[in-house]
Amino acid sequence: MAVGLRHFTARAGNGSEEPILDTDNGEELVHVQPSVSVAVGDRAPESPGTLYITTRQVIWLSELDREKGYAVYFLSLSLHAVSRDPEAYPSPCIYTQIETEADEVEDESKDSDSECSEVLDLSKIREMRFIPSDANQLDTLFQVFCECAELNPEPIEEGEEEGHNWIFSADQLEDEAGAGDDVEWHFSQNPTNTIGHSNGHHDLASSVLELQINDQRFEDAEEMEQDSDTGHHHQSQQ
Amino acid sequence: MLFFSYFKDLVGREVTVELKNDLAIRGTLHSVDQYLNIKLENTRVVDQDKYPHMLSVRNCFIRGSVVRYVQLPPEEVDIELLHDATRREARVVF
Repeated sequence: MAVGLRHFTARAGNGSEEPILDTDNGEELVHVQPSVSVAVGDRAPESPGTLYITTRQVIWLSELDREKGYAVYFLSLSLHAVSRDPEAYPSPCIYTQIETEADEVEDESKDSDSECSEVLDLSKIREMRFIPSDANQLDTLFQVFCECAELNPEPIEEGEEEGHNWIFSADQLEDEAGAGDDVEWHFSQNPTNTIGHSNGHHDLASSVLELQINDQRFEDAEEMEQDSDTGHHHQSQQ
Repeated sequence: MLFFSYFKDLVGREVTVELKNDLAIRGTLHSVDQYLNIKLENTRVVDQDKYPHMLSVRNCFIRGSVVRYVQLPPEEVDIELLHDATRREARVVF
């Protein structure tokens, strides 16, 4: 799934203004809020449109310009909040922060949003506000955002080779060492992604379990030199 | 589920949530879910330099995966208890 804010223009035809969703993969429309203006980054609010909240993303489609629309997946929404403080923003709105590609790769050279550029680079947008014409709708909108955000926890990726490549023994490097400079980090068993990964559903106990079972480094050195059918584990049974 | 249970007990307390993008938000812990998504009330930004427009928002939902730290009031933390609980949680069960 694409990270960050995106342009969205796929509208159903036949006069229907609704966005085309990924229904094959179970995406459903949860809430529709007409007369919502949107303010992208530091830019002024754009002309009113309709907010469509689905089980996967938030889509805003302009009422005036049928070619204009924005969308962001809940996976990319770091936080959302009800903003009513006029010092923070003149209009009551739903404030959202968007995780960008730059955030993901911990890019230190973060550019600020450019208001002057003709072509808006949505991928760098970090904040977005949804301003309903009826401020009484804010609490409902906030609730819907919460419910749908909860439907989108971090996906568990089994056997993923990118990113969390832990080396458990020097043997792994020796086995696979190819060209000198490009040492490819990888591992032979299923990664235990606990460290550095998000909080929540990773079972620390099973991670530790895997380390113990698969890694012979934890065996006593003396035991390994012995030529035996019965290793350390079996001695207590004798 | 240790931290889920732990945070549930802290509902109603003042916490500061520090996100991976360095933003720190202080507020009253309203609720937490199994993914450690956090809802805060009466939030205010701790360091306003980076996100001055956020200032104070009333209700805030923070995605669990973007949280770096949750800073707790020291008087609410029983270190021994937490230490024991985490050690038990991490113990291998065959």
